Amino acid sequence: MAESDGSGDFFSPRGSGSARSRLSLPSASRNGSVSQRRQRRLSGGLGRPPASEKGDEEDEEEEEDEDDGEEPESERPRPPGSSEGGGDERHRRLIRNQYRELICSVQQNREDMLSSKSNRLTEALEEANQLFSGVSRAREAALDAQFLVLASNLGKEKANELRSEITTFDSLTFAEDLLTFMGINRTETEGNDSDSESMSGGYLPSNAWYKLGEEAEKYFRRAPSFHYMLGSFKSEPPMPRQRIERQRKAPGGEEKRAMPAQLKKMEESHQEATAKEVERILGLLQTHFRNDPCTPIFFFDLVVDPNSFARTVENIFHVSFILRDGLARLKLDDDKLPVIEPVQNVEERNDDHSARARNQVVISLSHEEWRV
Amino acid sequence: MAGRRLPAAEIWGRFNGCWRHWMSQRKRSRGSGLTQGDDEDFSVVPTQSPSQVQRNLESRSQEEINRKVTELVQFLLVKDQKKIPIKRVDILKKVIREYKDVYSEIVNRAGRTLQQVFGLQMVEIDTKHHIYILTSTLPRVEGENLKQDIQTAKLGLLIVILSFIFMKGNSAKDSAVWEFLRRLRVHPGEKHEVFGDVKKLVMEEFVRQKYLEITPIPLTDPPEFNFQWGPRAAKETSKKDILSFVAKMQKKEPSFWISQYNEAKANT
Repeated sequence: MAESDGSGDFFSPRGSGSARSRLSLPSASRNGSVSQRRQRRLSGGLGRPPASEKGDEEDEEEEEDEDDGEEPESERPRPPGSSEGGGDERHRRLIRNQYRELICSVQQNREDMLSSKSNRLTEALEEANQLFSGVSRAREAALDAQFLVLASNLGKEKANELRSEITTFDSLTFAEDLLTFMGINRTETEGNDSDSESMSGGYLPSNAWYKLGEEAEKYFRRAPSFHYMLGSFKSEPPMPRQRIERQRKAPGGEEKRAMPAQLKKMEESHQEATAKEVERILGLLQTHFRNDPCTPIFFFDLVVDPNSFARTVENIFHVSFILRDGLARLKLDDDKLPVIEPVQNVEERNDDHSARARNQVVISLSHEEWRV
Repeated sequence: MAGRRLPAAEIWGRFNGCWRHWMSQRKRSRGSGLTQGDDEDFSVVPTQSPSQVQRNLESRSQEEINRKVTELVQFLLVKDQKKIPIKRVDILKKVIREYKDVYSEIVNRAGRTLQQVFGLQMVEIDTKHHIYILTSTLPRVEGENLKQDIQTAKLGLLIVILSFIFMKGNSAKDSAVWEFLRRLRVHPGEKHEVFGDVKKLVMEEFVRQKYLEITPIPLTDPPEFNFQWGPRAAKETSKKDILSFVAKMQKKEPSFWISQYNEAKANT
């Protein structure tokens, strides 16, 4: 490799060749540039002696084995498949990871870094310094530049806070005070999470934010949310409701009127039914006698309905009307069984009326007897 | 008009005054009468002098006008439920409609009703696009809020964000805000047991409600944002109030923070 590139030739592709032969060359070229950068960085006020860097570099020579030592700004395509490539790649990945971690931790702990009490910013810068000594490629150097931007922004903020006479607003203690107000229950907990050193442990009750919100309302002129007590209000529903009520009232009246009519009708039909039945039975009797004038009908033959006990009782009931009115006569025949026969003569009917009126017969008929 | 000047009436009185002035300017340049706004163009409210308004009023029955006033009051109250600011365009399109010519009178009366019945006032937070919010004019009473719901909790989150922004000099980067909230167990990536999607709540809901103003910082990658107070926050609370809140939490006097104290004093 040494033959293919000179000390100042940064654009030729580098082979994997023996590293040792290049060693002193890249180191030498880096030395100047690196110390320049370091000094730029340190002019911000850290005041690190350049001498120590040289020492650092030499210590890390072994790590720089396969490095090409170019300026960070130029691009260097790395030839793949070099035998020492694996170790180098891993090493560079490690450096990149470390940078990213550092950047992340600075971003996460901004407030901590800004706090005038802590030296964390300085520590982070020192860590980056160390990392940078292992950097020889653009990718890592870009990360280093990113960190530099971050750190310098923080440095600027910190300087701003020092400049003015204002009392710095310490958001860390503010957060703690808020938690206290919200009713945090601080216990001796270990190992909450990775940031446990920057956050207090403790259990925050479920009404924490509600408590805070209640206090907050005193400082706002917020219009209370307006909600109708009975739900959202639309102007349409009352109208149909009235209409429905009116309609319901109308049929109601008709129904009521219909009811008495019905009742009346029913009562009439009851009476009519009875009378009708009576007449029907009388008609049957007369028909039967017309056909066979000499034989009175067995009472029970007439009234008993073999299929229905109730009907039988009804029949007896109807027949009794006929007897009462004198339209038929009930008498005992030779076997002492009651027979019934219609009364033919009108005069007889009239005469018997008063006489018959007083005779009453009580017939008991039970369900058992009927069945038989 | 009532002899006693009410806040709502003042606001609208000033509004009317501007119109009158503009109207007189137009008269001078055009020498013609008044422009009647197009029926379909609800972005323009016709300019009217009080006498013109009076004449228009007389052409409508009191009943009609009062009905429109009631509708407007209801509209404003319902619209305010979600705390989304109300646009004048919507008011014109949905409530006023054909009564545009007496718009100012309707709004005046609605304002009076809001004040006298509800203790609320209509406040303009955007004079260019005419956007309004409702705020309370009554002093807050201790132990007044019997209804504690999610809105209460959200207000708690909001006040800490507003406090942080103010105490840090009226603007803060989103990374700073989220780091601060992290210390209160609120993480943008995690579902919070009270707030749910906190990032959405802060970046979308609070912004929509005009409590916060979040603007992207140019030339940042990944994009970073700048947090500031929104116009609603400015109207519903004040720097002085927020400083008092911070002072109470930290058990110190507000004057402990010199520059913030001076700023708050200058602001009232």
